[in-house]
Amino acid sequence: MEIFQVVGIGLIGTVLAVFVKERNKEVALLVSLCTGLIIFSFAIAKVGVVIEVMGKMAGSAGVNFYYLETMLKIIGISYVAEFGAQVCRDAGEGATATKVEFAAKVLVMVVALPIFVAVLESILRLIP
Amino acid sequence: MNIELIFQIAGIGILTSIFHTILKQAGKEEYAFIATLAGVSIALIMVVQLLADLLNKVKSVFFLS
Repeated sequence: MEIFQVVGIGLIGTVLAVFVKERNKEVALLVSLCTGLIIFSFAIAKVGVVIEVMGKMAGSAGVNFYYLETMLKIIGISYVAEFGAQVCRDAGEGATATKVEFAAKVLVMVVALPIFVAVLESILRLIP
Repeated sequence: MNIELIFQIAGIGILTSIFHTILKQAGKEEYAFIATLAGVSIALIMVVQLLADLLNKVKSVFFLS
């Protein structure tokens, strides 16, 4: 099972980050960032497989691919934004983390806007 | 799952701090700071490369063109 590799890497990275931290903080942050990146890239590969299967099912079910694509965009934006914000918060930069999350919320709204308009239009059509 | 990158960056961090201490003992404060700067920048370059290919992977998986 890959979960053992992931936990092993996480622990090793944390121990090395703490070890390097009291000598110089910058590289300790880089070590923890690098550990996060490796685990995140491993997870993204797995999510890719799930998304392909969902795409095929949506295709066969006749669901318009645009909606699935928008949903995936929103999920992708939130994943990356959460990752960046967490790293900033680890480094003690809470303000930067909040700015990153705020920008992510704005981008999600921008991506979701067309669907929101479509829903409103369909509702207005229902009302006689 | 390339773990050796973590060990490389941790090694760079340790070596940088050792050089810093040695140069500080030798009385050359400026060179100590420059050595630390060099070490941190090397580690940063390696991490940025990893970050770049991760973000490209995310871009392809989530259709974030």
